[in-house]
Amino acid sequence: MTARDPFDGREMPANGKGHVCIYCVRGVRKLSPAAWNEYTDSCKPHFSVVLSDTPFTFPPHSQKRLTKSLERSTAWLVDTLKTVRNKSAAFSDEGLSTHARLLVHMAGVANAQARRAFSESLGEPLEATDRDRLQPLKTLDEGVAGYVFDLVPLRMALSTHHPADDLTDPSDLLVTNPEKGEAPAQISDDFAGLLRASLQPLPVEKPRIVNSARSPHEILGLVLDVGVELFDAHWAQRAADIGVALDFKFPLDDVSTPNDPSSTCAAPRVRATGKQDLGHNLYSAAYAHDHSRLAAAFLDASSASASPSSPICKCAACSPRIPATHSAHSAVDALSSLHGRGETTTALPPYTRSYVHHLLHTHEMSAHALLVMHNLTVLDAFFAGVRAVLARPTGSEELRKEAERFIEKYDEEMLVMEEAKAQWREVDRARGKGRLAREKEKQHESTVGTAVDIDL
Amino acid sequence: MQFEVLAKCPTTRARVSRMKLHHGTAMLPTFMPVATQAAIKGLTPQQVESLGVNLILNNTYHLNLRPGIDVLKEIGGAHRFQGWPHNLLTDSGGFQLVSLSKFTKITEEGALFASPFTGEPTMLTPEESISIQHSIGADIIMQLDDVVSSLTVGPRVGEAMWRTIRWLDRCIDHHLKSGKADVQNLFAIVQGGLDPDLRDQCLEEMIKRKDKVAGYAIGGLSGGEEKDTDVFWRMIKQCADKLPEDRPRYSMGIGFAEDLLVCVALGVDMADCVFPTRTARFGVALTFKGPLNIRLSKYAADLSPIDETCPCPTCAGGMSKAMLHHTVTLETAGAHALTQHNIVFQARLMGGARDAIMNGTFPEYLKRFFANYFGDRGYPEWCVNALRSVGVDLLENIEHAEVIPGDGAKWEYSDKA
Repeated sequence: MTARDPFDGREMPANGKGHVCIYCVRGVRKLSPAAWNEYTDSCKPHFSVVLSDTPFTFPPHSQKRLTKSLERSTAWLVDTLKTVRNKSAAFSDEGLSTHARLLVHMAGVANAQARRAFSESLGEPLEATDRDRLQPLKTLDEGVAGYVFDLVPLRMALSTHHPADDLTDPSDLLVTNPEKGEAPAQISDDFAGLLRASLQPLPVEKPRIVNSARSPHEILGLVLDVGVELFDAHWAQRAADIGVALDFKFPLDDVSTPNDPSSTCAAPRVRATGKQDLGHNLYSAAYAHDHSRLAAAFLDASSASASPSSPICKCAACSPRIPATHSAHSAVDALSSLHGRGETTTALPPYTRSYVHHLLHTHEMSAHALLVMHNLTVLDAFFAGVRAVLARPTGSEELRKEAERFIEKYDEEMLVMEEAKAQWREVDRARGKGRLAREKEKQHESTVGTAVDIDL
Repeated sequence: MQFEVLAKCPTTRARVSRMKLHHGTAMLPTFMPVATQAAIKGLTPQQVESLGVNLILNNTYHLNLRPGIDVLKEIGGAHRFQGWPHNLLTDSGGFQLVSLSKFTKITEEGALFASPFTGEPTMLTPEESISIQHSIGADIIMQLDDVVSSLTVGPRVGEAMWRTIRWLDRCIDHHLKSGKADVQNLFAIVQGGLDPDLRDQCLEEMIKRKDKVAGYAIGGLSGGEEKDTDVFWRMIKQCADKLPEDRPRYSMGIGFAEDLLVCVALGVDMADCVFPTRTARFGVALTFKGPLNIRLSKYAADLSPIDETCPCPTCAGGMSKAMLHHTVTLETAGAHALTQHNIVFQARLMGGARDAIMNGTFPEYLKRFFANYFGDRGYPEWCVNALRSVGVDLLENIEHAEVIPGDGAKWEYSDKA
């Protein structure tokens, strides 16, 4: 559980000594660490991220501001640990484990020195004033279960222009981060260095969590160069939001594996650069008559019997299953054709690109449902592939080799996402909220599309 | 189609029947959710099927626009396109022409309207409507009718009724010539507005064509405008009394619980409406005690499900009204959860009716439903009258029964209003 959406990079009023400003469903609110701890206590998540002071004001941030950020974040961690201790004072160590385990966001933004300083302070022996209250902890790090890195504030600090420059339409909530203009690979290199600066003083046993990685390329880089275990799925869900069905696998097929000549399922587009898209922009007119399954890289369950060794996408869009149970609402329903159907095990045919294309253009919600299920499954298969490669005898070397092949093949610039976003916006304007008002305006101006000149 | 009446209520005109279509057997009376653009909004066909639904509606007007007939022909029809392996019913497209297009002109040839994309004048003839429905491939298809608003009076109503009969003949011809008559079943639509004489004439003519028609719809009574409930039930009754017993009767655009049960009591077998799924997306949950407006603050701390006895995934999974209150306007998943519940509510309503009719206890079912749904507020007068006409007295043995004139529709309003 986190207080803020880690992907939200919009400008906020300045944080203060005893609060952060966050954007929540009811607008901007001030949130104090004490309040946050209360909420965590009520919600009882398994893990919660300690409230930290990350500035979301217009960068760059002064040295003074950074120092404050470190001091506050550390102080709030101390307070949180004290609160936790107080609550469990009456409990045994067993009782402690029912409290949410704490994850700490690594402060320091884009300054390697600051990051190192913050991490070192986690490992230092406690101040005398705190020692009693926090025993048996000897350092702050002992009370922490893992380390969190939010890439959005990092990206913003490293980029050369302000996110607001990209907002053509202020109500466009999809653009809360600058995504164009910087060479992604270069920024990723900077990330690795900064994250390592945070991790170097700390023990290696604790998990590292990264929020807002935006491509499998970036993920591979972080796994290899930093050693990150957990990533959020934001970019895959975001792709679903804008109508992109992911279609890639890791590791790549062996060069020796021939493409199935009988396959009519087209792989994603290859760009002028020679790089292949990571998925399909299903808004594109190219898919209106494409009746194949969503991803070429994986088979659907109903075709899988033909080639048993090929990987299958088991998502409910590519491999829908007959539900095991069907509600009956009267005794005579035993005569309906649904009765007993749950015992059938035949695989159903996949949902097609043409169908999802249709749903996207008609602004239907089920497009999103199908795409999210699919994209998360593709992402899951990606990570399974990474783990499989790491499990090989010289795992790290193998992973580097496979990562290089992957990065060589697939387009990191995500042109497909840009194109999809533009078309998403068009359809949203034509069919989304506010459309009736816009249509009325249009009708007022001319009668094209609604009037018929009839001479009868 | 194979249509067989299994049981008849000894008191009312209700019956239970089995309708075997090309994509499966449906038990009637039933309610059909509407998948306007080849999707029940937010749900996958697997989700819909597991709710116990095997007959839904697609909209010819919309599917003809998007994805268009070419795509549907390529893939082999709307069943395959949307992944729905059970029964589909399509309307003719006529209603949307009148309600959605600003300028539609009805001629003897057909309906002349402006294409929403190009602005070009386009003609929808009865033959063309049937052709489009052939390409869609629905198990039940509707004739193109000349539909007028139920508020219309004057010669236009009669003109529309007679034209509907002529268009029925053209639809029948085109359908029989197509070779699809054994897999797709054509329904006629009885028109005549709110005029009993016109209705009678229409019924007489259409019943003459009984052997060429698989079922009868009762049209022209629900155009979205406020219905005069008093006349509405009389028209339904008149039609249902006269229509042949061995043909299914379909009242188009009926979805409120009380309307559905009255129609079933009068002899109707099927109905469709966007109401339950649309109202779900607006945050209203349907229950046997009336609709609940989940967005009201009184549900913010209610940790019980909408209905403890409801088998839908939302209630059976224990999702609380408080959670739904929080989520329904923020996340589409809230809309999906309520949509599943409302579809199951409609199905339970009709399933309960089927059980009661089979057991000879339908009058008791009606009384119990109305007492639970309206008891605290008063019965709508038109329901009392309509059910009395088929031998059920809702007010029997009820002290201080309150009766409300007008449509008496039940809604929860904000206490802040």
